[in-house]
Amino acid sequence: MSMNNINPGSPLARALDAYAVPGLPAGFAERVMAAAEARPATLPALRRPRRAWRIGQRFAVGIASFGLLASAAAATGMLGGFDIPVPSASKVWAHIAGQPAIPAQASTPAIVAAAQNPVPASEAVPTVVAILGPVDTPEELAEVFRRIEDVRQGRFAARRARIDERIDSAIDRRRAAGLPLPTPEQEARLRERIESGQLRREQIVRDRLDVRRAEMEDRIESGQALTRKDIIEPLRQDARAIRRDALIERLQRMAPEQRREALRRLPPAERRALMEQYRARRTEEPVPEPLAAPVFPPDTPPAQEPAPEG
Amino acid sequence: MTASRAPDAQGPHVASPGDDAAWAARLAARDPAALREMIARHAGVLHRIAYRMTGDTHEAEDIVQEACLRLWDQAPTIAARHPAGSQAAAALRLGGWLTRVVTNLAIDRLRRSRRLSLGEVPDAEDGAPRADALIEADERERQARALVLALPERQRAAIILTYYEELPNAEAAAAMDMNIKAFESLLHRARAGLRQAFAGQGDAP
Repeated sequence: MSMNNINPGSPLARALDAYAVPGLPAGFAERVMAAAEARPATLPALRRPRRAWRIGQRFAVGIASFGLLASAAAATGMLGGFDIPVPSASKVWAHIAGQPAIPAQASTPAIVAAAQNPVPASEAVPTVVAILGPVDTPEELAEVFRRIEDVRQGRFAARRARIDERIDSAIDRRRAAGLPLPTPEQEARLRERIESGQLRREQIVRDRLDVRRAEMEDRIESGQALTRKDIIEPLRQDARAIRRDALIERLQRMAPEQRREALRRLPPAERRALMEQYRARRTEEPVPEPLAAPVFPPDTPPAQEPAPEG
Repeated sequence: MTASRAPDAQGPHVASPGDDAAWAARLAARDPAALREMIARHAGVLHRIAYRMTGDTHEAEDIVQEACLRLWDQAPTIAARHPAGSQAAAALRLGGWLTRVVTNLAIDRLRRSRRLSLGEVPDAEDGAPRADALIEADERERQARALVLALPERQRAAIILTYYEELPNAEAAAAMDMNIKAFESLLHRARAGLRQAFAGQGDAP
């Protein structure tokens, strides 16, 4: 034994040896046996895939994730933002096959037909002005509004096509269910009413756009350069305000109970914005057209106080 | 030194090579007689280790019971890793496996109780379950218990395994999941700590 060992017979060893241990109780084994019997069976060990497959699996997941991200980036136009050209599938095929690229076909023929001529030929701008950096010339601003108009016209056309499809499918459903169908005159009146609503809405949007465009032209003439945000944000605000106006008008046509329920369903932020806009409208128009019932009581939330009948 | 073993006459059970693998196979087959045999063979040693680690009878019994039940639960895995006739089967020592489980369980419980009490492991006079034992114990036993229980958990385990159970350093190191060098260093510190504490009690080693 080394010097470090506790030598038998030494005072320390004698002191340690005094640490006695009581025996196990007589029924200890039975207690353990009973506990073992009551113990639920263990679950089988989990099967672990082999290491090579685990590594391969990670590679496969990584490649698939990268592919999805790249596809998403290409689909959202992010790559275009970084000046990375993204050829469409038809262009790639045309390059391979040596054939002219065929324009992509939309899923709904009606929408395609409506969107094929979104802008009247007389309004189309033959030359495309490149916009480099902030918009600081009238030509660049005109190009911006031309592009906006293109998008708008496409949307309006698509919306009209969708409305036509819905009317047609509603008539088909009624026919299939054996319900009475609208006469051609009734159908024409319905389409005309919807079309006039669309035109009225389009005119409102156009008026707002004209006002904004005039404001922006003034700013550019005074030497300011407009960023994308300077242009888009006011237009978005206008779009939201127009939507709220339309909603206010719909609410005004509703019965008080129905109106309160519609307001309750709105998100709180949207409800507050709607109330503010309605109050602003009332301030701007001191003598509004008489309503069956005010949309919002001026001092209390509409959901808590019944709108007075009038 | 062997006086401490007097209450429990069982010594370490020496199994022939491959014997423990056969017992593991029987345990894996859920043979209650095999478990009873394992308890008879190993519970005494395990209880001594657990008791000297914790200084508490009930705690020690709980630890031994838990170790036996873990053997019962793990037997299919152990048996699968040590098939009969293989080299692994010849090297299997269920006693060593159980000693490692008991040592780790005791260290875990001591650490948990220290965390809960936010202080040292209470000595014999503090705990109600120990009070009765202390009343009957003589002064030397109280002194020995205080000496051992004053050591940090791992040093305590090193002393108990090598001094009281007379395990070779390699086996004790295996029971504590340590390499031999680290274990010898731990053992050296434990002995030094014991000597210092013993000197502090007013006697000389």
